[in-house]
Amino acid sequence: MKTLALLATILTGAILLYGTADFAPWGDPQSPPNRHLSTYYIEQAVKETHVPNLVTAVLGDYRGYDTMFELVVIYCAGMGVVAVLRRSDS
Amino acid sequence: MESMLGVVVAKYNYWLYVVLMMIGFYAMIGKRNLVKKLLGMNIFQTAIILFFVSMGAKRGGGIPILDKEAALAGAVKVAEVVNPLPHVLMLTAIVVSVSVTGVALAVMQRIYKEYGTLEEDEILDKIGRS
Repeated sequence: MKTLALLATILTGAILLYGTADFAPWGDPQSPPNRHLSTYYIEQAVKETHVPNLVTAVLGDYRGYDTMFELVVIYCAGMGVVAVLRRSDS
Repeated sequence: MESMLGVVVAKYNYWLYVVLMMIGFYAMIGKRNLVKKLLGMNIFQTAIILFFVSMGAKRGGGIPILDKEAALAGAVKVAEVVNPLPHVLMLTAIVVSVSVTGVALAVMQRIYKEYGTLEEDEILDKIGRS
């Protein structure tokens, strides 16, 4: 069982490392994740939202609904915990 | 060999995330204790967070908090500010991670009350006997 788990781990790790061959090098300003969408936010977010902190601007303004409904996730988790741990009389 | 080392050094953030992720993965599928499995899942999620945040890094880039006057005047250089989007997405992932951990710990507490153990094989034994 443990050897099987170790083999699966090594195999998955090798496949993941093989996949990293196509990724951009670390810290490259011209890498694909840094080139397409984020330049718009860095250039325009302060003009559009007047929030100097870009993370807050995206989290609170552009993705406001997402952040709001994260509260639903937390609420559901809390309700789940209450439902699981509640002392039942039966 | 020289070029192999160069490849590893240029992408060492990916190697770190793969190693961390595989530690978590092994803990999830190789360990029998449920708490250790949950710890492995948390390590796995941390590896994902490290992967995303390291993708947004830029060599020589500063924190994504801008000078407001300079930004309004359009004087911000994109290459000097790290990518803020992975940070935002990982905040969402942290919320999900905390929720999952909380519910899992509650279920584990219930399992411990019911079976008196958190070892997977002992629980399966007790389920099979009853």
